[in-house]
Amino acid sequence: MTPSEVCFTSDRANLSQIAEFVAEQARLAGLDEQRVFEIQMATDEACTNSIEHAYDGEPAGEIRVCCYIEDTDFVVRVTDFGREFNPDLVPQPDVTAPLEERSIGGLGLFFMRKLVDDIQFSFDPIQGNQVILRKRRACP
Amino acid sequence: MTRTTRTSLKRCDLITLEGRYDSQSAPELEKALRESMDAGVYRIVLDVSQVTFFGSAAIRVLIMAIKECRRFNRGDVRLASVNDRMRQVLEMAGILPLIKIYDNATLAVGSF
Repeated sequence: MTPSEVCFTSDRANLSQIAEFVAEQARLAGLDEQRVFEIQMATDEACTNSIEHAYDGEPAGEIRVCCYIEDTDFVVRVTDFGREFNPDLVPQPDVTAPLEERSIGGLGLFFMRKLVDDIQFSFDPIQGNQVILRKRRACP
Repeated sequence: MTRTTRTSLKRCDLITLEGRYDSQSAPELEKALRESMDAGVYRIVLDVSQVTFFGSAAIRVLIMAIKECRRFNRGDVRLASVNDRMRQVLEMAGILPLIKIYDNATLAVGSF
């Protein structure tokens, strides 16, 4: 499987197309449907973060989604060229608190971390902001 | 493709969800819930049998609506026909034990 990269604009309307692209690539890489769902959802949350935080909801920004295989992993790399954000500064939501006390932020990042086997963030003024999501291709 | 349909019943409002609820379409769910609540209806059933994706943006809308409906004990948002994928998302968000789920819309509507 050769790396496959597609560029999208930071328009929320593109999220379903991005999901389809990632699902197709994940199936080609041999992931089962459960894993396909999980990497697809993690990618959706990563792209939503780019749209909402890096580009402040502006639909004209650029988001690149690249899928490839590395060793035992199916990898999705999401790149944007908007404002960088520090994932360590996003408070972790308390998912055990009573509903009345739930704060609204941080859920997307929390989901991303839960859905993949490994996640890395990097920020570079030239190469852009990257989120690298890794999912094992099969059960260990 | 997302379609959200709101039906007013005697006991409650029934909102039927179809398709993908990501950050693009979650506002559609918010609008339907808002219409019910603005009309003073706080007993709401969401039939989610046709949902293919429910992201964090939709979870936020759901939590907001449940909080608002339960205030002053005036109502609740109850779910019908939750599929495995959606159950996983609700569980990840930690809200599965906090909401009422029914096998189908008839049972959920009858619970009010």
